[in-house]
Amino acid sequence: MDGWVVAMMLGASLVLGGIALIAFLWGIKNGQFDDETKMMNQVMYDDESELNDAAQQDRKKEELKKKNYKAE
Amino acid sequence: MYEKIESAGNLSMSKIKCDHCHLEFSDAVMIHDGDYRFCCKGCQGIFHLLRDEGLESFYSKMGETTLAPPTEQFESSTNFDTPAFAERFITKSPEGWNQVSLVIEGIHCAACVWLNEKALHKMPGVLEAHINYTNNKARITWDSETLKLSAIIDMIRAIGYNAFPYDTSLQEVRVNKERKDYYLRMAVATFAVMNIMWVAVAQYAGYFTGITQEIKTILNIAEWVLATPVLFYSGWVFYRGAYYGLKNKAVTMDLLVVTGSSLAYFYSIYITVFEKGEAYFDSVAMIITFVLFGKFLEVLSRKSAADTLDMMSKHIPSEVSIVEGEITREVNVNEVKVGDILRIRSGERAAIDGEVISGEGSFDESNLTGESEPIFKRKGESIISGTTSIDALIHYKATKDFANSTLSHLVNLLENAMAKKPNIEQLANRLSQHFSSTILFLSIATFWVWYFGQGSFDRALMVGISVIIIACPCALALATPVATLVGLGLGAKRGILFKSAAQIETIAKASMVVLDKTGTITQGRPEVVEEVIHHPFEPSHLYSLVSASKHPISRGVMEYVERQDETIEQGLLQDAQEIPARGIVARVNEMMIAGGNALLMKDMGISVDSSSDKSLFYYAVNGVLVATYHLRDLPKEGASESIVALKKFGLRVVMLTGDHEAAASRVARDVGIDEVHAHLNPEEKAEFIAQAHNEGYVVVMAGDGVNDLLALARADIGIAMGNGSDIAIEVSDVVLLNDSLVSLVEAFAIGRRTYELIKQNLGISLVYNSITIPLAMMGYVIPLIAAISMSISSLLVVGNSMRSRLMYK
Repeated sequence: MDGWVVAMMLGASLVLGGIALIAFLWGIKNGQFDDETKMMNQVMYDDESELNDAAQQDRKKEELKKKNYKAE
Repeated sequence: MYEKIESAGNLSMSKIKCDHCHLEFSDAVMIHDGDYRFCCKGCQGIFHLLRDEGLESFYSKMGETTLAPPTEQFESSTNFDTPAFAERFITKSPEGWNQVSLVIEGIHCAACVWLNEKALHKMPGVLEAHINYTNNKARITWDSETLKLSAIIDMIRAIGYNAFPYDTSLQEVRVNKERKDYYLRMAVATFAVMNIMWVAVAQYAGYFTGITQEIKTILNIAEWVLATPVLFYSGWVFYRGAYYGLKNKAVTMDLLVVTGSSLAYFYSIYITVFEKGEAYFDSVAMIITFVLFGKFLEVLSRKSAADTLDMMSKHIPSEVSIVEGEITREVNVNEVKVGDILRIRSGERAAIDGEVISGEGSFDESNLTGESEPIFKRKGESIISGTTSIDALIHYKATKDFANSTLSHLVNLLENAMAKKPNIEQLANRLSQHFSSTILFLSIATFWVWYFGQGSFDRALMVGISVIIIACPCALALATPVATLVGLGLGAKRGILFKSAAQIETIAKASMVVLDKTGTITQGRPEVVEEVIHHPFEPSHLYSLVSASKHPISRGVMEYVERQDETIEQGLLQDAQEIPARGIVARVNEMMIAGGNALLMKDMGISVDSSSDKSLFYYAVNGVLVATYHLRDLPKEGASESIVALKKFGLRVVMLTGDHEAAASRVARDVGIDEVHAHLNPEEKAEFIAQAHNEGYVVVMAGDGVNDLLALARADIGIAMGNGSDIAIEVSDVVLLNDSLVSLVEAFAIGRRTYELIKQNLGISLVYNSITIPLAMMGYVIPLIAAISMSISSLLVVGNSMRSRLMYK
């Protein structure tokens, strides 16, 4: 009984910590911490149009992937 | 729409901001375009483009920043589409899209970054555009079928910026990648160790107060899970290091770390599975993390040699003006053949050696020969590549092609010199070799003694492993990096930049210091040492006259006049005219004033006494000589004191210069240097250094110009003056930001201080180990003690370094 409680607590906290670590590593690999000045300034340009812009870029990529896929 | 800034009600003086670049101009000169005002066509074009594209919110985003007005002329962007360009700069993304790295010129503010990214994103075919605000580097991914790269470049130029390709195979990029890699490994290790520690606290508490085997196993498994990525992911660098060490038949610190931690790891798995004894997972994770931290510090302070050469080639002009009959056109330097006629204008740098056929003027050869005074060239005299024209418009005939010219020859020599750069083995590396072998031997011996003494394999293995764990060189691995970090910090505070930590140790071992004359010992620009006034005159006229010229001699006189009378102001000159290689002539209040060298005076029919070992500047009013100034390149402030201090360090001080004997020995006498070698070309300087190195000297070379490059690269430590040429700064290992010889002395002092600290730190960790290792061999070490001992020894080393930092203010 005791053992199970300890094991679950340990497991849960390690998983939570692990998730945070993976998110951090993903951020580093993605270059999100490369440019501290931009990171601070980007906050100012963070509205709907930026979101649309990002979505549009993703759509472009998807379309191109599909096109290439068909071509093959 | 636009703002008016009224200045005291005077309407003609009112300034209006250009609606694109936000620079202020008077209304009359601006382009009126409806309600808008622009300073030039370029700004107007960009403004309309941005509005058409729906990007005008750029202007509200950029706030108070002003932009540089766009340049109109660019080379055609078609060379971005050539196969040669693609091969060098374009890479493929995993999806098969093209990628290129560019440096964007003209980024002033965050809004600029926003604008560029936005504008590129709007182009069909551009899939990703990331611009780094800190270093202005952009990474662009695009689909080559929809879009050409030249179109992307044209877009960047159209909105008022410019882009250059950036070679990602550069060393710098690789070093950054390595750093990032270490960073990831550090993040994982730190996370795991911190978690293992709180699990371990429960273990230790259980050890003293009692704990059921069930809980103990659960804790062990949790530590196991956490220690695994630390050992195999974060610790991978040590496995690699140990492997390469063994391949070269060397017992390295990496090997010791790897054997200790791997053995402890597998032993702990065995303990966990068979539920007996104590597991050492916490020690495994801790060792790896501490030592990795030390390695990370080393990586942070490493410099890259390859970029230096790249930097060097940037200084070679890539195009020259070639004259064919009436036409002058720009061609690539490689296309120039011997016998071609080339043109060089004032301010331009020659890329190719040649001989003057028409025109005359002075050249600045100081960065090649070290001669501080400009050299006057006329028909028949030779032009050396790498020198800069000060005031000359000259046509000259190429006597060599580009590959054989002095400058590119120098680049090749530099490449060789850098490959030959001596490498002094660091104390810690040498020590750790002996240390590692000793510990491995002790550990094996302990194992056998226990095995035969007690007959218990388990117990013997545990004690044997604990010897390695306790000895595991956390403190040893931290000793050098922490000490050098202190040294780097001390240096940085005083404007001394060590490019790599290892250099601090080398500079402490130096036995000879070689100084360049021009720009290192002396100020590198002529100063007035004597003023002879023949007739009284109005100094403000002279001041206005010399201010009109950028020639070093005129500057020297100008500074002198300023020093005499700080409130002096420039008057209005009429018809000021600079006569190349002679001086300046102007009119003021119906008087003819002229200042320049003896040639100018001769032209004006004034006879002067021109015998002097210094440079002379004559000033004449209405054809009568009124004053003569003697100018000399003077030693820097504190130069002689610094030389004395260097000698006190027991260093052999030598001065090398390309300048002639008389000037060299005069400066040497002034500052107290006994050993002088004058009239040396760059190769001879390097040869001298190599010679001294072969004689067993550890040579430090301080210099500032292109003429010192080879010598700087060849010396054990090259020290560049912060005011020196960029290439010299790149080649050297240490940079003195404030240019003074006093800093040079301090660099030596800091080097010695740091070396002392390294020795202390190594001593501490060795003494510590010699106490704890016998304990381990006797079998008294449990995981708690191992952990505490590791932390304490590391803290001692760090603490000692901090103490030194506080003491040496």
